[in-house]
Amino acid sequence: MRRTAAALLGALLATLVIAGAVLGLAGPSPTQAATQAATQAATQAASGQDEDRRVVRVGTEGTYPPFTYREGSGEDDLTGYDIDVIEAVADEAGWDLEFVESQFDAIFAALDSGRIDVIANQISFNPERDARYALSEPYTYSQGVIVTRSDDDSITSLDDLEGVTTAQSSTSNWAEIAREAGADVQTVEGFAPAAELLAQGRVDAIVNDNIAVLDYLNTSGSDEIKIAGEAGDEGSEQVLAFRKEDQALAEEANAALDALREDGTLAEISESYFRADVSVPDGGDADLSGGREGRTTWEAVQDTAWPMFVAMVKITIPLTVVSFAIGLVLAVAVALARISRSRVLAGLARAFVSIIRGTPLLVQLFIVFFGLGQIGIRLDPFVAATIALSLNVAGYASEVVRSAILSVPKGQFEAATTIGLDYRQTLRRIVFPQAARTAVPPLSNTLLSLTKDTSLASTVLLTELFRVAQVSAGANGQYLALYSVAAVYYWVLCTILSVAQTRLEKRLDRYVA
Amino acid sequence: MTALEKEPTTPAQGEPLVVLSDVQKWYGDLHVLKDINLTVHRGEVVVVIGPSGSGKSTLCRTINRLETIGEGSIQLDGKPLPEEGKALANLRAEVGMVFQSFNLFAHKTILENVTLGPIKVRGVKKADADAKAQELLDRVGVGHQAAKYPAQLSGGQQQRVAIARALAMEPKVMLFDEPTSALDPEMISEVLDVMVTLAKGGMTMVVVTHEMGFARTAADRVVFMADGQIVEENTPEEFFTNPQSPRAQDFLGKILKH
Ligand SMILES: Nc1ncnc2c1ncn2[C@@H]1O[C@H](COP(=O)(O)OP(=O)(O)OP(=O)(O)O)[C@@H](O)[C@H]1O
Ligand SMILES: [Mg+2]
Repeated sequence: MRRTAAALLGALLATLVIAGAVLGLAGPSPTQAATQAATQAATQAASGQDEDRRVVRVGTEGTYPPFTYREGSGEDDLTGYDIDVIEAVADEAGWDLEFVESQFDAIFAALDSGRIDVIANQISFNPERDARYALSEPYTYSQGVIVTRSDDDSITSLDDLEGVTTAQSSTSNWAEIAREAGADVQTVEGFAPAAELLAQGRVDAIVNDNIAVLDYLNTSGSDEIKIAGEAGDEGSEQVLAFRKEDQALAEEANAALDALREDGTLAEISESYFRADVSVPDGGDADLSGGREGRTTWEAVQDTAWPMFVAMVKITIPLTVVSFAIGLVLAVAVALARISRSRVLAGLARAFVSIIRGTPLLVQLFIVFFGLGQIGIRLDPFVAATIALSLNVAGYASEVVRSAILSVPKGQFEAATTIGLDYRQTLRRIVFPQAARTAVPPLSNTLLSLTKDTSLASTVLLTELFRVAQVSAGANGQYLALYSVAAVYYWVLCTILSVAQTRLEKRLDRYVA
Repeated sequence: MTALEKEPTTPAQGEPLVVLSDVQKWYGDLHVLKDINLTVHRGEVVVVIGPSGSGKSTLCRTINRLETIGEGSIQLDGKPLPEEGKALANLRAEVGMVFQSFNLFAHKTILENVTLGPIKVRGVKKADADAKAQELLDRVGVGHQAAKYPAQLSGGQQQRVAIARALAMEPKVMLFDEPTSALDPEMISEVLDVMVTLAKGGMTMVVVTHEMGFARTAADRVVFMADGQIVEENTPEEFFTNPQSPRAQDFLGKILKH
């Protein structure tokens, strides 16, 4: 059995390598790409090997151009105005940086739970944040604008937002402004998805930063949406956010920002992105025309197919294999507990199954990752995802294992005990091998679900297959193409697993006449 | 010398091997074994006979503790049956059992069925276990089927493998619970022949069966059960030609009509 499994795994990998090579044909060289997609926290440390340089972990979306995004050309380094600013600050303050990419809605949770030390992601100043976090002085002054469909003239100011639906990152300052204006806020992950929803007519407006909007209009070439008016008179100010107890870090940042403003570095960075100085109030109107270029669908697919493949091989497949293996062992333990004569064990097992099957996997994942993080148990994203997925597999598979064990005829137990096998030997030599035959089809379903469910790990800072597609699509707006490529990868993976299932079933069926 | 060809011992003259004293058993309110007192001597062949539901299987299964008893005691070779754990597993290895439905391990080959116990329980080396298993399989006439799976064999062949599997553990006593009732008529004799050889070879046996031919040729004693009680005990000849109790007369009348 072991040999077949190894052969199947080999076949699986070979097929995937071919698929990946075909899709990544015109992409970057394999070695270059392998280093790209694999590291979710790219260390972009400034030069210098000083022992006492402080390592500061920076949380950023990587999907919010032109502030923080991945270069479409396939250079996987993070770039953008906020990235350049924090790197300049680090240079000045003598920090080494480690970037952690996170969805915006998870970014403050990541800061609270100590997974990152600072957010560099156009965090707008507001009094609530000021009370909760140690905020730096502003490094961007911008104007909030209201975006609508091009053919919609009914919304021009905040007053018109009463009762309409807007799309925002739920925890952003813009969402707060929209809510206060009486809008019904739909939560999205970043500006590009919001723009997509607006163009598709699923929401009526977006409140966002004028620079982000100009960047989108410029790179997408979209004429379906327009800037319809300003969101209030006051401009907004964007700051770096630290934990309250890291006040000292915030002060170092402030000193660095002062120095950078003084020597013109900030102005220079801003000019290079916006042809205006947004680092001071009234530094001129940002102009993004002729800035970074949009990507064609084919270019986007070519750029992303290989990194997606690498993420699948390095994260998705290992996550699936490890979670399934651990999950199965737990499932057997839970199944044995459920059929054991001990009422306590059986009760505990029943409760476990009930809780796992009665709660969403996404919620379990968030409890393990963000929840435990808050009480000091800070698990690596891969470990957290493995725990949540293993428990989930155990919950479902234990019922399968239990009924498979019960399906082995009683006479088999009796015959085994009459030749003197003890309970463990009977289970191992007689019951499990026969139960396996019954259990393989339903367990294969569990494995297929698990393979697809690993995509949920994208929400806990794990850059697996789907997250790579998400990040890339967030930057270039090629949702249909990139999500389709992701779908193809999952489908190929699941198809290979189904073939393996059929072969395993045949093998287990050999003793049935 | 193998298990199939031991020196014949004189019936009922060996020392007591299995001793049941005042055994009672209930299933809920159902009193299935009542005041059972039975001694099986070393080398003796006891046939248990009786109507359906009279407790024959239950009696058999209490001897290797597949069923627990309510009251009384059962001793094997002078020692009471252990309650559980390794000691119980060891006891079971001493008592061979052959079931009506064969119960061969479906996922193991014929040879593996026979070698599993010796290797895993007795710690015999695989090569030795294989050789001995092959010899036993040859003796029961299924040696050439060693590499097949149980489902590929006829019922009669499977039951002979089950006997070989039990013998491989070199048990002190063999229990048979209606070993031929699930078989087509033409296969019954091939199994009975093996059992007769075993009996003649001196194996201690408790056999639940309605096969009078076997009882007459091989049994030292017939025990007749009805309603959970031992109603009558006698030599086969006496029992079949001159039953004492009305229950036995009635029962024999019924089965002889067929
Ligand atoms: N697990 C059980 N739970 C409850 N009652 C049982 C159980 N097993 C057997 N019985 C009952 O105990 C009584 C004796 O059963 P047993 O199987 O020993 O009879 P038997 O003499 O072997 O009959 P047969 O010739 O039909 O095999 C029967 O009334 C039967 O219904
Ligand atoms: Mg019976």
